[in-house]
Amino acid sequence: MSENTPVISLNDAGICYRPLRGFFNKKAKDIWALRHLTLDIRNGEKLGILGRNGCGKSTLMRLLARIYSPDEGRIIYHQKDVHVELLSLGIGFEGNLTGRENAVLSGMLMGKTRKYMLGRLATIQDFSGLGDFFDYPVYTYSSGMNVRLGFSIAMETNPDVLLVDEVLGVGDQVFMKKSTDALREKFQGNHTVVLISHFPDQIRQLCTRAVWLERGKILAEGEPGEVSKYYRENVHKYTQ
Amino acid sequence: MFLQTIRRYADIILYRTIAGIKSESRQRYLGYLWFFLEPLLSTSVFYVAYSQITGSRGPDSVLMILIGALLWQWFEGAIMAGANSIKSKFHVLNQCNLPKFLFPLVSIAVHTWKFLCVSVVIFLLAFFIGHPPNIHWLYLPLFFVLQLLLIISISLPISIGVTLWADLQIVVSSVFRIFFFISGIFFDSRQIPENLREYFYYNPMAVFIDAGRAILLRNEAPALEQLEIAIIVTLLLFVTAFFLHGYYDKKILKLINA
Repeated sequence: MSENTPVISLNDAGICYRPLRGFFNKKAKDIWALRHLTLDIRNGEKLGILGRNGCGKSTLMRLLARIYSPDEGRIIYHQKDVHVELLSLGIGFEGNLTGRENAVLSGMLMGKTRKYMLGRLATIQDFSGLGDFFDYPVYTYSSGMNVRLGFSIAMETNPDVLLVDEVLGVGDQVFMKKSTDALREKFQGNHTVVLISHFPDQIRQLCTRAVWLERGKILAEGEPGEVSKYYRENVHKYTQ
Repeated sequence: MFLQTIRRYADIILYRTIAGIKSESRQRYLGYLWFFLEPLLSTSVFYVAYSQITGSRGPDSVLMILIGALLWQWFEGAIMAGANSIKSKFHVLNQCNLPKFLFPLVSIAVHTWKFLCVSVVIFLLAFFIGHPPNIHWLYLPLFFVLQLLLIISISLPISIGVTLWADLQIVVSSVFRIFFFISGIFFDSRQIPENLREYFYYNPMAVFIDAGRAILLRNEAPALEQLEIAIIVTLLLFVTAFFLHGYYDKKILKLINA
């Protein structure tokens, strides 16, 4: 498949949060986090999504990752069974199980088979720098070690489309450099990556195309440098 | 690809179940022993109460209560854990694209494993008090599968319901309390007045418990004709579960906060 062919297309898509109405609270209003969104994610591109808090970025990620279905409009996956995964750190770790056991379980939740994860354990242990702690229960870990393990697992899941929500580098100074480098590498290769950020500079440096999302709609789309500049100049108009 | 996905889900259920069992036992000093001790403790409480009230004592009464109590604990424990499992895994489900029925099935599998462990005690006790294996024991796998299917078919719709309306949890526990008293856990079905017995067997759990006693204690073939309602209930609930999970799978996380 060549560059520029869309992998995922959003067609007039919208996502609505409907707070559950209680017997004593019937007034809860619907919240449209995304509305009339039309956007293509193209093969191999690094798409940056710029936006302030609450603009619908995370909702968009969950829509792309098939965690939510659109409440209006359509989402089309052009390749059958394309593996879209949200970069997540240490989800669903069982405190009483070892780092090794958690690595396999966690990878399976992120769309990989057990066999695949078993083959990646050495790399994960090595990258995490946990050493012997890899075979200790996760509840003995410091929060930094947890993040190291989570990140190292996430780096080995290699989805077709990687969704990165804000997190770039994690951990202490040493691991921060290592993790940032590893993630930047994903931006160099042929992977399709979608990066969410509210830092225009990050988007400008890492992405090949950018979109400014505001209140669930696209305000600007195009070359990252231009979109970042436009965002910087105009974002204050939307902050009350 | 479809088969591969099914395979991955099956693996997730299997290895999450093993992890759940390991994790639970590592939390306690006596570890795996609690899989036996916990149900036996509650059974002995039932037995003491029952023998004081009815005056019927002896090993046969112990076995009778044991069969009732263990089958019930498997049923209630699995369904209650399954019902809460979507909410308790909210953070995982909010990050990964996974069908919402996976975690209820894991909870059920963990409880089923515990039941299988402790059922060894039933077989040993039966053997030592003079009820050795008989030809009717061949019915046991059938009843095991039927009860497991009933548990799954009840858990799946409830798991969606409880996630959407926490109120339902309170209703469900009250309903369980009623069924606890009318399923014949600490009395024998033959103690029920003739004219009420028909209604008693409308309850699938009463049928399963009675069948267990017929096979293990009375060396009789179980009454298969009483299974009709259990099978109909299971099938209807499975259809409900299928549509509920299909409809809510990609919606439910937006509708709750956990």
